[in-house]
Amino acid sequence: MSVNEYDVVVIGAGVAGLTAGAYLAENGFKTALVTAGEPTACLSTGCIDVCSLDTNPMAGIKNLPPEHPYHLVPEEIVRESLNIFKSAMANTGNSYAGSPEENRPVLSALGTSKISCFLPSTMEAAPQNMEESLHIVTFTGLKDFYPGYIISRRPNTKLSEYDAGSSNTMSIASRFEEKDFFEKFMVWMEKLIIDADKIAFPAVLGMASASDIVNTISILTGKPVFEIPTIPPSMPGRRLFNALKENFRTKGGSIYWAWPVTGIEKAGKEIEAVATHSEGRPNSINARAFILATGSFVGGGLTATRESIVENVFNLPVHLPGPRETWFNDDYFSLNHGIGRAGIIADSSMRPAASPWKNIFVCGSILGETQVLKNGCGHGLALATALAAAKSCAEYLNDEL
Amino acid sequence: MMNFEHCIRCTVCVENCPVFRVNSEFPGPKQAGPDAQRFRLEREKAEDSWVLLCSQCKRCEMACPSGVEPAQIILRAQQRYGKEHPQTATHLLFANNYYLSALGSFTAPIANLIASSGIGKQLLQRIGVSTYIPFPKFLFRTLRNEKNMLTGGRKKVAFFYGCFINFYRPDIGRKIIRLLASMNVDVVLPPQWCCGLPALGNGNITLARHFAQKNAESLSNYIDAGYDIVYTCTSCGLCLLHDYTGILKIPQGKKIAENTYDLHEYIIKLMNEGYADPEFGAVPLKTAYHIPCHLRALGIGYPAQKLMSMIPELKFEIIDDACCGLSGSYGFKKENAFTAIQIGNRAVSLIKKTGMDTITADCGSCRMQLSGLSGMPSFDPAEILCESLRINELTPLKKPNNIS
Repeated sequence: MSVNEYDVVVIGAGVAGLTAGAYLAENGFKTALVTAGEPTACLSTGCIDVCSLDTNPMAGIKNLPPEHPYHLVPEEIVRESLNIFKSAMANTGNSYAGSPEENRPVLSALGTSKISCFLPSTMEAAPQNMEESLHIVTFTGLKDFYPGYIISRRPNTKLSEYDAGSSNTMSIASRFEEKDFFEKFMVWMEKLIIDADKIAFPAVLGMASASDIVNTISILTGKPVFEIPTIPPSMPGRRLFNALKENFRTKGGSIYWAWPVTGIEKAGKEIEAVATHSEGRPNSINARAFILATGSFVGGGLTATRESIVENVFNLPVHLPGPRETWFNDDYFSLNHGIGRAGIIADSSMRPAASPWKNIFVCGSILGETQVLKNGCGHGLALATALAAAKSCAEYLNDEL
Repeated sequence: MMNFEHCIRCTVCVENCPVFRVNSEFPGPKQAGPDAQRFRLEREKAEDSWVLLCSQCKRCEMACPSGVEPAQIILRAQQRYGKEHPQTATHLLFANNYYLSALGSFTAPIANLIASSGIGKQLLQRIGVSTYIPFPKFLFRTLRNEKNMLTGGRKKVAFFYGCFINFYRPDIGRKIIRLLASMNVDVVLPPQWCCGLPALGNGNITLARHFAQKNAESLSNYIDAGYDIVYTCTSCGLCLLHDYTGILKIPQGKKIAENTYDLHEYIIKLMNEGYADPEFGAVPLKTAYHIPCHLRALGIGYPAQKLMSMIPELKFEIIDDACCGLSGSYGFKKENAFTAIQIGNRAVSLIKKTGMDTITADCGSCRMQLSGLSGMPSFDPAEILCESLRINELTPLKKPNNIS
């Protein structure tokens, strides 16, 4: 018998895994989450793209091709998942702005616009057109942000530089959490003459207190203030991950770190346990149900070989877009590579189709036919399918008793 | 282990590095680990002295989504640097912490007087030891002199108590012996030495291997005689389970890994097997449970959390996002003191935010650092368990049957 027994084990600590886990833990199930490492959500801009194809994300979802996994989730559950997310984030202090009916542009570090639905409140004031003038405040030597790109696209942009005594994102963000540093910074800000409409910062304004920091600067200067998401290490992505993690834990879930699943135990049509590598005796966790939320290729859920694509935990059948020559476009920057369609096909109960297992539920970007880049639906799809999978899993666990 | 070429440079490790955040001299786990590794393939003399700034908390390894082990790469670079350069006084001192502590406890009253006096502190600072938190007090009566406790139970444990418990907190060790004995487990104290981790952390793999080999021979004999090995210090545990089979290449490593348990993991095992059925009494305490980095790295979840959640009236909140910064001897080196204090202060501010008034941590050096910086009292989870089961260090056994 294994030392660890749970109702459900969630595999993967990304947006989907932490969301499904929080729902199950909140509903009274003993929930553990195992993860190989930290998720790709940490590398993201922290914005929740629901569907960027239409000015109205909910309308955009309706127009997705019929095989898209969004169609497995009833509209009211998509909306419910977004509501749950928004209130969970507000509770952790990492609040989000936006409505499921509206997409809006977010200024990127290249000066282009990214279209998204829910934005971290620190990005809420991002310019909505080219007319608004900006004053960018950056930090001396910051290696991960080059305001020149933005200025080349928005000529009516001014630039100032503050010496934070460090040139990397992580340590500047930590310093903003220190009272003395922030006070000194505010004294400097106060002296700055700003005649632009809005003030922009690279997204390094603190960790847990970013919303407060942005508000404080805005009150002092009397101007709207917003953050521009940067390349990784991305603070808004980390804040999102930290907040989801805190939410999961507050609801009663336990997390096992450094726990890549390397083996399974099964009986009949059920998975009984997952195991990880161990230098000694087997290290396994038993549960009655499993949520697979390991992500796609970068997240580690799928591995592509020359001939085929493998799902790494349960070796589930993987839907392929076609023979290998259709996996990639000639245009590297295309959003339409065939491999974006690879993944696990789920049925309406979020169980993997064409597989014998009745206690596995799948969610997030490991699903097939997502075309996340093309459809602009990364985190939004993760939230919606996670809630659907968690509800289906809860139903299964209740029926089983 | 994936090799350094599997790194996709996503920087998730960098985000998790507590040292990188506060010390700009350290290039971070990505650059110090996989990035620099390709240059280390040329067998030239190591000039990357900044590898010594890594505290080996392993948070980068736990975060890496690609299975690369930056801390392991850096650990090996630290050993190479240690081999190719003269050892500093503090490195030698802390690598030999075991012998130093043995001397300290033998001369306890004098050693403590010196370590806490102004002149003593000046002397320590001279040789490069930082004194921002008080040095732990040596005790004349260490745990190794304690008697075995034989209950005649079916389960037999050889207790690997570790240096911290042995030299500085033998009272906790005595409680743990009684805790296990109260569950009808035979507890013996096998001959043991430093686990070897301090020597590794100070770039002295030869000494680490020397300690590890001696421990392995001793523990292996006990395993053959039907004993399970139980450790309480999570860093000793990580070394026994991961480094003995890994970097130290100890022949008995696998056998030890197969038979070695964290104390709380072991108690849960006894409960699951129906061997023990402790009745937890109320402990009206509010405590922030700081998860030591090395407990996280063990990949066994947080076993003490499970036991603590069975204790009535105990309120606790888990904090596993913060390294305490001391990392054994790391923070006691003058050149690292500033880094260690900065990291520790962040952990303390997270602890204070919880509104709890005490700290709990499995690792003695975490407790030393967090108590030292916050002024809050701190406990080993085993102490709370003993409190709950009304066990103290003098609790006699029902059928004492001592041999030694």
